[in-house]
This record gives sequence, C-alpha cells and structure tokens, in this order.
Amino acid sequence: MKVLRPGTLGEARALIARPGHVAVGGGTVLQLGWASGATPPEALVDLSRLGLGDIAASADGGLTIGAAATLADIENDPQLSDTAPLLARAVRDIGAPGIRRLATLGGQIGWGAGCLLPALLALDARVFAAGSTDPVDMPLADWLAAPDGLVLSVTVPPQAPDATWTWRKIGLRAAFTPSVIAVAGLRSEASAALGAGGGPVPPRRLPVSEAAVAEGPEALRLALEAEIEAPDCIHRTGRYRARVAAAALTRGLFGTPRAPAAETSLKVPAAEPPPEGLRSLEGGPGGPEWHPRPDGRAKITGQAGYLTDARAPDMLVGRILRAGRPHARILSLDTSRAETLPGVAAVVTHADVPGLNAFGIMWQDQPALCHDVIRYEGDPVAAVAAVDEATAETALQAIEVVYEDLPVIASPAEALAEDATRLHQGGNLAAGFDLERGDVEAGFGAAAHIVEATYVTPRQMHVFLETEGGWCAPGDDGTLTVAVGGQHGGRDREQLARILDMPEERLHVITSPTGGGFGGKDELTVQPALALLALKAGRPVRLHLSRAESVLAGVKRNPMTIRMKTGCDADGRLLAQEVELVADCGAYASLSPAVAETALEHALGPYLAPALKTSGRLAYTNNGVGGAFRGFGANQMTFAIECQLDRLAALTGLDPVEIRRRNLRRPGMPGLMGHKVAGSERLAEMLAAAAASPLWSARAGPDGDPEGTGMALNFQGNGLGSLPQDDGEGELRLAADGAIEIASGLDEMGQGLATALQAVGAARLGCARSDIRPVYGDTQAAPDSGSTSASRGTFAAWSIARGAAPGFAEKVLALAADLTGVEATSLRLVPGGVAVAGTNSDAPIARFADLARHAGTALPRQKTAFAFPKTDYTDGNARFIHCYGATLARVAVDPVTGEVRLRALEMHTAAGPVIDLAAYLGQIEGGLIQGLGLTLTEDTLFREGRVLTTNLDAYMVPSIRDVAPSLRVTALEDLDADDPWGPRGVGELGIGAVTPAIANAVAAAIGGWPVAAPFSPEAILELATGSAAA
Amino acid sequence: MADVAMNVNGEAVRAELPDNTLLVDFLRETLGLTGTHVGCETSQCGACVVHLDGEAIKSCSVLAASVAGRAVTTIEGLADGDALHPMQAAFNAHHGLQCGFCTPGMIMAGVDMVRRYRASGEALDEAAIRHELEGNICRCTGYHNIVRAIDAAAKAM
Ligand code: FES
Ligand code: FES
Repeated sequence: MKVLRPGTLGEARALIARPGHVAVGGGTVLQLGWASGATPPEALVDLSRLGLGDIAASADGGLTIGAAATLADIENDPQLSDTAPLLARAVRDIGAPGIRRLATLGGQIGWGAGCLLPALLALDARVFAAGSTDPVDMPLADWLAAPDGLVLSVTVPPQAPDATWTWRKIGLRAAFTPSVIAVAGLRSEASAALGAGGGPVPPRRLPVSEAAVAEGPEALRLALEAEIEAPDCIHRTGRYRARVAAAALTRGLFGTPRAPAAETSLKVPAAEPPPEGLRSLEGGPGGPEWHPRPDGRAKITGQAGYLTDARAPDMLVGRILRAGRPHARILSLDTSRAETLPGVAAVVTHADVPGLNAFGIMWQDQPALCHDVIRYEGDPVAAVAAVDEATAETALQAIEVVYEDLPVIASPAEALAEDATRLHQGGNLAAGFDLERGDVEAGFGAAAHIVEATYVTPRQMHVFLETEGGWCAPGDDGTLTVAVGGQHGGRDREQLARILDMPEERLHVITSPTGGGFGGKDELTVQPALALLALKAGRPVRLHLSRAESVLAGVKRNPMTIRMKTGCDADGRLLAQEVELVADCGAYASLSPAVAETALEHALGPYLAPALKTSGRLAYTNNGVGGAFRGFGANQMTFAIECQLDRLAALTGLDPVEIRRRNLRRPGMPGLMGHKVAGSERLAEMLAAAAASPLWSARAGPDGDPEGTGMALNFQGNGLGSLPQDDGEGELRLAADGAIEIASGLDEMGQGLATALQAVGAARLGCARSDIRPVYGDTQAAPDSGSTSASRGTFAAWSIARGAAPGFAEKVLALAADLTGVEATSLRLVPGGVAVAGTNSDAPIARFADLARHAGTALPRQKTAFAFPKTDYTDGNARFIHCYGATLARVAVDPVTGEVRLRALEMHTAAGPVIDLAAYLGQIEGGLIQGLGLTLTEDTLFREGRVLTTNLDAYMVPSIRDVAPSLRVTALEDLDADDPWGPRGVGELGIGAVTPAIANAVAAAIGGWPVAAPFSPEAILELATGSAAA
Repeated sequence: MADVAMNVNGEAVRAELPDNTLLVDFLRETLGLTGTHVGCETSQCGACVVHLDGEAIKSCSVLAASVAGRAVTTIEGLADGDALHPMQAAFNAHHGLQCGFCTPGMIMAGVDMVRRYRASGEALDEAAIRHELEGNICRCTGYHNIVRAIDAAAKAM
C-alpha cells in the first residue's frame, strides 16, 4: 500500500479517481478495517496537505466546516455551541479525545457510517464537494445516498433557537463505544427534523416520523419504531435498536411522564452500627501507610522492561500459525515453501517437538503444536521465525495445510448429547461432580417458599493489557532462556522441560514483570512455540501476540449455566438447595476441572441448609479454551446463590440482611464438604457492615430513573486446596551492594508482589522498606515459591519473611558483631543497618553496605520453605483459609435503553492485617471493576466455534465512564487470637460478589432479577416492562 | 517505501519505511522506543498515546509517513533527565498504576489534558478528567487512582 500526499485539489481529484485509491482524512478508522480483515487499498490519498480545515461563519448565519477540520476542532469551536448546540453536544460522543484529534469531518462523511451523521442530517447540513464532473452543493442526505467526488466542506445552518432538540448515542458501554444507534432530533412549532444512524444503522433522515411529530409522542414513537431500519448485530437485535431509538427521540423531544416506581417487595434493612474495628481504607500520599511501588519509577518512565519490549539487533521475530477453524483433522502440512523464503530462519511444526507434545497444568491434553486434530480456532499448527514481522507474516501464509473439517461442538449441551462427536478419546465429559446430603425432596416438600432460576455467566476474557509474549534465547552452554510473562516460572519450566525433552537445570525461565495476568497467564501461552523456534534457529527470537490473536488463542473464564432451586420455611430458613452446574470447558482441560469444582464448593454460599444436592458437568467444546480467571468459579456460583437469597427475602418479607443473618454459617462449623476450615471467620461482621451502609438510604438521582441498592456476601479460598501440591521456598540474602534481597519465585503482574515482599521483609527484620530489594519471577534468581494464583501470594510472601527472618537476622548480627566488636546479642536490625539494642538511637553503627563489604563472598543468606495450610478433606478439593466480603451496589436503570448505570460501589472486606494499603485497595478496586465488566458488558461471543468478538472494539471492557463515581472499601483486620495463618490474600475477593450485588440492586430498582450476565439492556427492558414500571 | 523524517523526543530521526508503517511501529521497532505500548489493533486501548506537536494522539491510528516533519514526544522523552515530569511523579505517588502497561499512554494523555485545559482557561475537574480519559483503558486499577494522580499533577504543573 502506498500513501500519496497531493498538494493541490486537482491532483487529489485525479488520484482518487483511480481504482484502488482511497481518500483519507485522519485515517482513524482505516486500521480498524484492516484489523477486522479488510484488505488495505492499493493507495491512500492523504488529504491533509490540502488545507480545507477551516471553520467559518456561513452566509446564512450558520457554519461552514472544512472537510479536513478534525472533530476536536469542531468540539472546540467557540461559535458552535451558539450556532448548533446539537452538533456541539453530539461531537463529544464520537470516539475519544485522542481519536477526535485525528478524525475529520470529511472522514465521517466519506466513511458513511460515522455516528455524527444523524446530527448533521437533522440539522439540514449541506455538502459542498468537488464532484467527478462538476462542483456539487447538495443536502447531506442526498450526498450520502449517491456520493460524488471529494467532500470539501459542510455547511450547517443555524439551529432554530426555539427548537427543542435532543441527541442520544446509545452504545455498548458508557463511553468510547461503537454505536448501537445514534439519534438526533429537533422540534419546533412549525417543523421537526429527525435523524438516525451509527454503527450498522444506515444514516437517514426520518420523514414519516417527522410528519408524525405533530400527532404527539405516542404517534411519534410508533412511527419511529416502524421507520428506523436497524439490523441485528452480534450484540443487539435490530428490534432493540429501533425501540430504544424511538423511545430516546420521543423522550428527548416531548419529555416523558415519570414511570411509576416499580413495585418491588424488597425491604430495606434497618440501620445498625458497623462492626467494631471496621475502617475505611483511604489512599493517598502522605499517610504513614502509603508507600510508593518499588517498580513504580521504571513503569512511569517507560523503562519497566516488560518481556515483550525486549529488542536486540540479532533478535528474530516469531509468529504462530493458528488453525483458524474450530474442529478439523490435519490431512497434510507442508512448510517447504516457507522455509526457503529469504529472511526466514526457522519453521517449526509438531515434528520438531523433541519431547511430549502436550501441556496442561492438571492434565497434559493440549498440543504444543497440533499434529492430527484441531480442536479450536486458536490451536497452533506451526510457527516461524524471521528477520522481521513482515517476512514472518509472509512465511506464515506460505505454509500449506490441508484440513478436513469435522463437526463442531458449539455448546456443552451438544457435547453431552448421546451421539456427539468426541473431542477427546475419553469423550466430551471433562469432569463430573455429584454431591447429595440430607433429603432434598423432603426439604422442598416442607418449604413455604421455593425459588428456582437458571443463571448464566459469560466467557469473560482477561484482557491483560500486555498480550502474551516475550523472548527466548539459546545459550552457548546448551541452556535456554525463556522470558515470557507468566504466573509460575517453576511450573512453566517443568512443562517446557517435558516438551523440549531438556533437563530443567538447563532451562532458565523469566516470568516477570508482566502487564497483567488475572489467571490468564497461569497456563503456558506462547512458550512452547517460542522455545522451539529459538532452538531451531539457534538465535534469540521474540514473539508478541496481537490482540486479535490473543483473543483467539488465550484461555477465558469458563461460561457456566447454573440452575438453582432453593427452598425455605416461612421464617426464611433454608430447607433445601439443589444446584445443577453445566460449564463449558473449551477444547482442552487446563484448569477448568478445578474451576468447576471450586464453583461447587460455593454451592450453598456461606449459608446453612439441611439438604443439599449438587451436580456439575464440565464439557469439552470447540469454543476456545477455558481456564483460570480471578475468582476461579466462586464468583459465578456466588451470583446464583446471592440472588436466590434476595428472591426469598422478597417472598418472606425479610430484608436482605435479615434473611442472610438467619442462614449464616457460624465460626467453627465445618465447611461445605464437612471439612475443617481455618478460624477468623468474619461473615457476621461483613453482614453487619453491609447493614450499616449509607447506600440503603441513598437518594435517587435528579433524572428520576429507577434506582436500587443491592448487596451480596462472599468468601474466597486462599491457596490451591487440599489436593494439589501447594508449597514453596523463598530466601532472604544480603547482596554485595548492601541491599537485602527477598527472593521468591512468585510474579509481579501489577498486583503488588514487589510491594508485599518489601513490606513483610521490613516488618519482620525491623529494617526500612527501602533497604529491601524484592527479587522475583526468575528461576535463576529466586527459589520456586509455587504459583502466583489462588490469592496465595500474600501468604507465600508472609511465610517467606517469617521463616527466613530469624535465621537471616542472626547471621547479619553475627557479621555486624564481627565488624564492630559489639556482641551480637546487643545488636538489632534498624533502617539502614545494625544498631545497638537497648539504646534509644536508631542510628546504625554498621550500614548494610558495610556489612556486605565485610562479608566478602560469604554473604549471609537464609532459605526457608513453607507449606500452604490445608484442610483434612481429600475426596475432592477444598480450601482451608478464606477471606470474606460484602459488596453493595447502587444502580440506576435507564428506562429508555435498559442500561444499568452504577452510581456507587462499596465493599467491606475481612482478610486479616493489611500488609500494604495501596496494594490491598488496588486489588479490591481492580477486582470490583473487572467484576463490573463481567456483569454488564463483557462476553467473548462464539458462533459455531468461531469467535465473534475478535478485538477490543467488539469486546467491551469497562471504560472510565462505566466505573462507579463513588467507590468505598473498608477492612476489618483482626484475626482470632489463636490464628497462626497471618494476612489473607485479596486478589480474588473483590470480583467475588459484584454481579449479584448489581443484580439485586437492579431487582430493587425494577422488580425483577437479571439472570444472564452480562445483563443485556434488552433483557432489562423486558424485565422492567414486565413489572410495574411501564 | 517512504523517506520519513521527524523529530522524536527532541532528536531528528529519519528512516526509509514501508508506506503503511504505523507511527507506533516506527517508534517501537525502528527507533526501539518500547515505552509506548500496543494493547489492541483497533484504536481502543490508548496504550500507544504519544504527543504529536504537543497533542495526545493514538500512535497506532496514524501512519508514520502522515506525520513526517512533525514533532513526537514519547514517555521516554517526558522526564527532564533524572527529574520526573510532575505527571509521572503524581502517578507514582498516587498509585495510578498496577501492571503499568497502560501507564505511558495514561501519562501522555494526562499531560496533554492539563496543558490544554490550562491554555483554554477551563477547569480540569474530576468530570473533565474522566471525559478526557474515555479512550484509555486500564484493566488493573479501576481508574480511581489515575484520576487522582492527574488531578494532583494538574495542581503541580
Ligand atoms: S494500541 Fe490500542 S489504541 Fe493504540
Ligand atoms: S495498570 Fe495494568 S492496565 Fe493499567
């Protein structure tokens, strides 16, 4: 593709008349097109040198806007808000600031799909263009119908000052969103002008509806619903588009009589004081507990050393060939053409795998490179390493694979059907779990109230901002360094050793820092292909997945369908609970069986019932690969049980706090499996904290939309559980430069491991945080501490410090004694070095650097080992240590669109002492917002085994405008007097109960519970109209 | 191929590039300035935000050749030697980051908005900061500390 930059209009016109030549303004949507598979044109004709960017008053008192004026120019034009306030308002909803600075008006028009068009249409904008033969001056609507030539400017007449006007862009999230539909309208005594468009909706004036305006709001609404031509897309139906557009325009032009408040039978809990010791966590510099991140400076200066940022002159670029089809047999695979391309250094296939061509944390069922069967679109078939990206891409295309497509298993139901095609030798049932305790039938028989619902949770994607990747380099001595962001270097090494048939000692695995993990980098990602390439090429190779490839290849949260039937007596006491879980495993096991089991561990939430029956089925499908994701199944089940409790509250006339209080398990009771659990349970306290929340009595917002407050409790296990091996090692050591290193094989993914290591080290030793250098994420530099998952990092770090500190301190003091002549027993560690004990002075008599120098090569070091405490249960997996939380949400439901807007989120937590305030808060806040995404906007959509939401323009993570303007986090930090297990990890606590808190808040607002997350506005509208709210 | 010359972080740079080279690839691959990140291919995430003649833009959505002759500043060019830019310092002080991958883009967007609002005399209040950050995704923090950091930096700048 060429980029041409004509200097005159004449040249420009001549160029764009040629075939394959496309005019561009800011060019902001071009890449979007290529990313979704469109072929780039032969040439881009860049119009930026033509001028054409002026905005000036027009003869009729309006504005003439040059085609090259950017949307930001328009937004900032001082006259616009007087001349055309509708346009001034609309332009702020297009793209985002960094886009508006590039995107031009001409581009919006030339593209023909910009969501600004409805506003321009309603304002009777005219286009002035250099037509193919003559200059053109015509209404925008006519030009859009038959574009002719190059748009030079657009004239927007002055907006009638007496006109009522409205603008509404409805999107998939609160800001920077593709349009579901955008509408603009003006109404005055004499006339009306209406426009609709945006996204897949063709931009149009709406003449029939304009004529109906005179007949009043209801006639207008009906006319609009009939006239707006709106197709379905993967996210919304055409019917929804037309319906909300009609409602938005009608409401905007006529105002709407208030919908009567919903008849919700949910009671508000009585106010009560919060539990003693609960404190609000307030962040901010200056406080004694607020410490900067040890890795902060590197990250804010662009020097953090992410493994995908490594560049070296001799580094090759690797790429992976993905199957691109959900289920197929490989008939032949020919790489010969790719191998001979100039610039290609290595091509690898399954034939190059020296060891076991399979990986998987639990079971090794996932091929490093496929040899016979493809089981999902992202399955890797081959990989290449070449001198640059373009050559690697060409080489990928030169690989010839012949496939025979096989029947696609697109859902667990299909997978479990009797005659289903088998995806794995053992069949499609990846795992099954059944439990029955007490007499469920008798329980339901005796129940005064029974509620039953089927809850659905999405295939959430981790969307770590740094996609999977890194580099790999063979050493001269037969070693191999693999540097790819991960969550457990030791296990990655073990898996790679098996695949490469290489002793572990020869593998050096680096896994930190990484730009986010959330469970999605727990399993191997690109390491096998990358390692094979580096070995074959004999040179360093780097490889970084594009977002699109990451979407295709990476693990996702297992979608779950949970049918739950819950019965209680007239007083709200639970009598029976029946749970049927069906989960989508995807193509390979990864950690999905453990996820499903964890979900079932939460089948009764933190409540008691005499009878319980659960069944779980995890089925292989061709829908990508499922696996670990923050919450690990617990949050899905919590969604179901916590909504059931509120439904029963409504039926029994109890408030949400009271019904929970009546059913809450009590400290010291066995866990769900009858297993022993650690003390320091704080469920009653969390419930009390929720009861005390000011959100119950929050006042409704000024727009009068229905609002509600909801709550949910949760608990989250720490550690891998009773079955898997769950231990590790760590070390304290004095480095030659005088830094005290605390070394652990855990990973820094952003969660604050480095901070935690510093904090626990300093607290145990008595030195300053700044004396401590955390060392992590590198199998050569730190011992294996197990995985950075399952909220286990906090316990691991705390155990390492606790275990190693006494021995290490003793060695350091002995060294200090030797240096200073003061007896070791009279010395102690202080910030900066060693001081004399028993004096008031903290001034060190020997600094750590002095001690290191004195030690020479005999630097003190102390290793320690720890084992995660486990419960006695071994018939299945269960957790021993937990943390507890209560989440409250305040929401408003938009009666026009069915969108749920978060007004406030509050979370109360009990996880033992907070070892670092900023990290703790960060985990809770980040978890809450990731949970918000799962609840309202996020789902990786599949059809027939193919991903539909291929990139971040279709997969909607929460933008800054989606998060609650008010967010409050509290902590209750005390542990039971005899609790030896220290601070609990809160990496997963925050995400645990957001979904049910929001669902219950929605029910409080509109009287019905959404059951399928993400809650579709369409379903919410149905719920709202199905209840009393009209 | 296009002969592209521009000023990056105060230095004149020049290279022969395929016409369709995106600015972000020119920065990362040709110049090795990997502080500017790529988080998507769809202009969504904002990890790639740099300054073009002082204004924040998404460097994944412009061609290098289209901005020939202009001045680009990346995260690497923001600090004055060892002295952090007040926006950088504020992100550090307020924990406006976790994994840090979005941070360069956030910081560049933050600097730009403070300057622009200052120049126009408008108040950069919390609502304005949130509006300005609509095009920057952070997956780790929940955004609150980012807003606080920009607010604090606005006062310090
Ligand atoms: S890389 Fe995502 S917006 Fe540029
Ligand atoms: S800090 Fe990780 S994406 Fe923002």
